[in-house]
Amino acid sequence: MKVFRQYIAGGLLSVLLLILCFPGLSAAKVLIGVIMTGDIPYYGSMHQAFVDGLKKKLPPDQEVQFILQRPFPDPIAWSNAARKLIALDVDLIVSYGAPATHAVLFEKSSIPVVYAGVYEPQAAAFKGRQVSGCGYKIPLSSLLRYFKRIRDIQDLRVVYSSTEEDTVRQMTELVSLAEQQNINPVRMDIRSRGDLKKLKGISENDAVYMTGSSLAHVWSDEILTSLREKRIPAVGIFPDSNETGMLITLFQPPAQQGEAAAEIAAKIIGGEQADNIAPELLRETELIFNLAEAKELGITFPIQLIIEATRVIK
Amino acid sequence: MTFPDHAGRWRFYRRLLVLPMAALLIYTCVATQVRAGDRNRELLIGIEPEHNIFDQMQRYRALAAYLSDELGLEVKLTIMSRYGEVLQRFRSLRLDGALLSSYTAALAIRELGLTPVANLVNLDEGSTSQGYIFVRKDSGIKNVEDMRGKSVVFVDPATAEGYVFARAFFRQHGIEDLDSHFSRHYYSGSHASAVFLVLDGRADIGSAKNTVYNQLVGRDSSILDELSIIATSPEMPEVTLCLKRELAPELLDKLRTSLLNMDQTIEGHNVLKQLAARRFVRSDPDDFAVIEEMAADAGMKILNGSAD
Repeated sequence: MKVFRQYIAGGLLSVLLLILCFPGLSAAKVLIGVIMTGDIPYYGSMHQAFVDGLKKKLPPDQEVQFILQRPFPDPIAWSNAARKLIALDVDLIVSYGAPATHAVLFEKSSIPVVYAGVYEPQAAAFKGRQVSGCGYKIPLSSLLRYFKRIRDIQDLRVVYSSTEEDTVRQMTELVSLAEQQNINPVRMDIRSRGDLKKLKGISENDAVYMTGSSLAHVWSDEILTSLREKRIPAVGIFPDSNETGMLITLFQPPAQQGEAAAEIAAKIIGGEQADNIAPELLRETELIFNLAEAKELGITFPIQLIIEATRVIK
Repeated sequence: MTFPDHAGRWRFYRRLLVLPMAALLIYTCVATQVRAGDRNRELLIGIEPEHNIFDQMQRYRALAAYLSDELGLEVKLTIMSRYGEVLQRFRSLRLDGALLSSYTAALAIRELGLTPVANLVNLDEGSTSQGYIFVRKDSGIKNVEDMRGKSVVFVDPATAEGYVFARAFFRQHGIEDLDSHFSRHYYSGSHASAVFLVLDGRADIGSAKNTVYNQLVGRDSSILDELSIIATSPEMPEVTLCLKRELAPELLDKLRTSLLNMDQTIEGHNVLKQLAARRFVRSDPDDFAVIEEMAADAGMKILNGSAD
């Protein structure tokens, strides 16, 4: 009996050692905390692709629970959401957008972080040992180039938010590009709903360029309705999911980033160190022309331009 | 009438028949020429989709009208749906000639025995073009190894500048199979689209004709800041008018003379302006050897026109 107990104890010890040596196998249930920079369709699609992709990559018996945080796009809200997930001691945090990622990394927890939906992550300069992910790059100049081919632009209103670091970079790049093209850039910083009043000052010869600001996209319906009343065209780098009035969009398909993030997350759940996984930069884009909106605005797309689109909305 | 012998009778008949036979022969020749002339009351010239068909139809309509006046017959143009269609159209005997880009011209000369008549000289005083392989400067792609796992856009399998050159270049750098080196490859259908696709990030690597590339840069110099050229092909004839050998030699000569002298007349000058060209110059069949070499380097058989 004594020998039998010794065998049992030895066996249990072996199992414990195996579990300690292979932490990836230890988690019967994985708890994943998710933060979106804003509750906008772009990150929603990305997250859906992430969930679907992760299911495919993990073993069928691997249980996964998600805790989803969709804070209002505001630094305090991002910070609170990040702290909540850390307090819940999740196994992995997935952050969509640069501001949410910065908020998580600022807390300096030991929880691995996978980011997605970050514009030029190299420029975002994330600091942290347990961090990897995927970002995207849109040639902002291309959108401006197409815009110029359909109408003359005097003032280009660049809608961004100074609370979202990545959109500040986009705005800076656009200002430079506009000046090169002899277009007068006008910065439109949206920090609160009150800033939407700035739209009243837009004249008929202006055009609007929407950066990837979550705050601006939370109010995109209001912004686009206001612009349509004045027959002012808008272009942007996020898809116009509801097709509510963006004339041209050039965007990185969010599902691709969701799938790439899922692959990285699956590796981390499998036991790899996040900082050993190379981040990805996705550059593939889709170009959508909204011909229905163009008709409303009295704009004609040259046929030579239409053939360049990935898709047209009629 | 009596004949001294059998040979005398034969000489008589022979003399009797010489004139009618000669007349018949002359009649046959003339009638053939007349029938050829009738057949050539209309000249159907095919055009490849150089940039896009809307621009092209506009540009070439003036040329058709000018040649109709010069030749005294109706010159009609038809835009082919795609680059490689020229062989099928010639085979179905529906075309008398075509303005062909370098690869299809080489193919048509070799396979169909077409006669290269004249080359278009562009506004930069060049009648040749080159293939470019280009990437976005911020892509980090500097060489073929960096291209692994990236996407590549070609223009059409039947373009030297937009496909054959790139295939030859990749093959020289050890890439036999596109699918195993690139994440995907596809065709844009026009040189300009290939440039825009790379600019937009919809493809990582592009291949297109230098003249179209330079036109786009001329309209928007910011493209130079964004794209970088990785490789450049040798020069080759850009656009060549090739005609069927069966056309009457007089018509071929007349057409060639009209084209070569076009820049000497005000009407001709106006047509050239619409074509964004200076003049036409005589074409030399030897100029197409470079394309055959390129096709061989790409592992393509120019004789049957197949890609791979």
